[in-house]
Amino acid sequence: MPAIKVTDLKKVFKSKRKEAGMLGSLRSLTHPEYKTIEAVCGLSFEMEAGELLGFIGPNGAGKSTTIKILTGILFPTGGDASVLGYTPWRDRHKLAYQIGTVFGQRPQLWYHLPAIDTFTLFGKIYELDELVLKRRIGFLAETFEIGDLLEIPVRKLSLGQRMRCETAASLLHSPKLLLLDEPSIGLDVVAKQRIRDAIREMSKLENVGVLLTSHDAGDLEALCRRVIIINHGQIVYHDKVSNLKRKYLTSKLVEVRYAAEVNQDFQIYGMETLKVGRYGVKLRFDTKNTSVDLVMSRLSEKGSLVDITISDPPLEEVIARIYEEAA
Amino acid sequence: MRPFNKYWAIFKIQLLNVMAYPSELLGRSFSIIIFMLVFASLWRTAYGIAGTDTLQGITLPGMLWYLMIAETIELSRPRVSTTISRQVKTGELAYVLNKPYNFLAYHFSTSFADSLFRMLTNALIGGIVVSLMFGSPPPAWGWPLAAIALIGAWALNFCMMALIGLAAFITEEISSFEWIFQKALFILGGMMIPLEFLPGWLRTVAERLPFAYAMYGPARLFIDPSLEGFYSLLAGQLVWLLVLGGALALAYNRGARYLAVNGG
Amino acid sequence: MLKRELTFLFALWRANLQGAMEFRVSFLLQIFGMVANNLLYFAFWPVFFSHFDDIHGWTLNDMLIVMAIVSFSWGIMTFLFGNFNFISEVIANGRLDYYLSLPRPVLTHLLASRSNVSGLGDIAFGVVAYLLSGQFQPEQILRLLFGVCISGTILLFFMTLVHSLTFWVGNATELGNLGVNALLTFSLYPITIFDNTARFFLIIFVPALLVGSVPAQFVKAFSWQGLVQLSLGALVLTALAITVFTRGLRRYESGSAIQVEV
Repeated sequence: MPAIKVTDLKKVFKSKRKEAGMLGSLRSLTHPEYKTIEAVCGLSFEMEAGELLGFIGPNGAGKSTTIKILTGILFPTGGDASVLGYTPWRDRHKLAYQIGTVFGQRPQLWYHLPAIDTFTLFGKIYELDELVLKRRIGFLAETFEIGDLLEIPVRKLSLGQRMRCETAASLLHSPKLLLLDEPSIGLDVVAKQRIRDAIREMSKLENVGVLLTSHDAGDLEALCRRVIIINHGQIVYHDKVSNLKRKYLTSKLVEVRYAAEVNQDFQIYGMETLKVGRYGVKLRFDTKNTSVDLVMSRLSEKGSLVDITISDPPLEEVIARIYEEAA
Repeated sequence: MRPFNKYWAIFKIQLLNVMAYPSELLGRSFSIIIFMLVFASLWRTAYGIAGTDTLQGITLPGMLWYLMIAETIELSRPRVSTTISRQVKTGELAYVLNKPYNFLAYHFSTSFADSLFRMLTNALIGGIVVSLMFGSPPPAWGWPLAAIALIGAWALNFCMMALIGLAAFITEEISSFEWIFQKALFILGGMMIPLEFLPGWLRTVAERLPFAYAMYGPARLFIDPSLEGFYSLLAGQLVWLLVLGGALALAYNRGARYLAVNGG
Repeated sequence: MLKRELTFLFALWRANLQGAMEFRVSFLLQIFGMVANNLLYFAFWPVFFSHFDDIHGWTLNDMLIVMAIVSFSWGIMTFLFGNFNFISEVIANGRLDYYLSLPRPVLTHLLASRSNVSGLGDIAFGVVAYLLSGQFQPEQILRLLFGVCISGTILLFFMTLVHSLTFWVGNATELGNLGVNALLTFSLYPITIFDNTARFFLIIFVPALLVGSVPAQFVKAFSWQGLVQLSLGALVLTALAITVFTRGLRRYESGSAIQVEV
């Protein structure tokens, strides 16, 4: 049985349209007019138990709406979904004991108290045995490297430390499925890496399924085997991450700065020059044809390097390319 | 027993949360001194002018002890309307839905923890002020009765405040409802003046409304304790709790359903 | 100079008002809600005076004048300088940076940066209370205007003074709440219930009588004593509050020391 099975899921929001002026307000009380927004239109996918599935797309693509439906927070307008054998919006309460959720922008830890107090509270809320909870906290403290953070009031933690505590809190009741909505939002590179490592570790140890939304391609590269890209409430891409990488995430952006001024007709074989400044150059290359080693050595041949950054193209660009190909 | 454990734990963590800032806790309790000083000046003068020991069957010390309890109730009422309306407006409500606890029971536990400290500190400080000016409090055997009635009053206030909070589903702005509710407690609930002083017809109406059971009842019982009074007060509180609690549950269910369909 | 500041203030007030009017339903709810609120609050006095003819010469009519003055001054101040009750919060959270970084007088800008719509409801109620009080002679109207100005000034600068203590004691929000409770509560009761010691205290330390009873008496009948008390009180408090706030600014620690709550 798949952990999640979604068929033709739809969600339409209606919002009251208000006219200007007092009369308009009155009229909208008696004759309300609605405008509809289709947040999710006909989504279908499956996720196996213990799988790591990435759900990415730009802001407003319908990721959060989908997650909210899958946790039972929202009723869908149409279609069907089954999570761990439950219909979320009908069995929200029972499902709550089986899944863990982290909403990156909605902290669940008590702000003025140490995290350990919230952990104890969650133990009661999920009706865990005291001894079990204690052992569980010990285990999670080790995996998430938060042992020495638990006694500090949450308000004094850094965002990265707090997110690790948040994620650990969502795993206290040993859920079979973890739903993460933007877990790495606002984190720096190191903090992102640490939280990804811990999540991967947990998934491996306990076979926890992870459904993760993000607008950061790095999250899914590091964590997921399969990826679903959605935009405007529809699936635009659905495949293995390795395939996505091979097909779309092959191009890299390079920004370099030299100690001396650079030639205005700066060119390197196998790379496309995007922009030339006085000291800096922006280039693009394809990892299929040109290796990173080679790029580095060719760049340093041109002069003494002061700074270099290699990055993935932004997700918006990838999606735009996927769209182009579909059209 | 397990569900009870859950809400007990929620109650305890909120106690901890309140105690995170003890100075703030204490600072809040000084306002009652101001109110008691004003009441004392006003009623001392009024009894002096009337030239009698009792007005409407209440002595001057009795009046001040009455007002002290009423003010304690007023100052330690649950402030749950603000929290709930914020959760409704920001959509935070949606996120508490996927935890295995009941939303209203959750707020009941946290606001009780919030109020408990205020109630104790206000009654203590207010009691000291009134004792210093007017001598010893009413007979101690009535205190437990009043304490139980205070809890009933608190629960009634909780229902009404939570209902006001849920009004945020209908209109963004709920503070005017909060003000008007408070002033209803002041006059119809007998916070400013015991209901005996109201004109006959108004008194008859006011005595039957929930405001009186949430304010006048316990305060009056405190200065004139009797078992009969206690039982009839409790019965009235229970009836209104059933009515208002039912209304609250209904309103919440409708609201939650609306939210699930329309999103946060 | 003064003209430039006034132009700036008017622009600020206009923006505040326009912002509030965007939400019409809540705008009207707040105004009418406040009128109803004050009516219910005032209902205590008819009930009270139905048992006593007067309190040492003080009658229901006097209470109407007090209520009119306090409603006017409170309403005007919360509407035009609505931040006066939030100064501690602004200082403690380091949000004074914003005002300090702009080329405008810090205190004026800070005070006028918040507008409570409910203040308009207070003003509306003040009109009703005044009409019921029957003080319609021209010189009474002049004295009423004077009284409202003094009452508002004292209200504004007493709160500024209390909140400015934040510069020395950390967060004075609770102290501010206590101050505003004391000032309003004592101002809304007849002066004749207080003995001389209490009156002295309520003029010098918590100038509640200068906000309510004294201006009300002054409206009813002119007295040199009232005029001197009111003018002097307002002048001294204004000078004191501005001095303390300006002194405090030197001790301002900005947002760097304080964590901002998420």
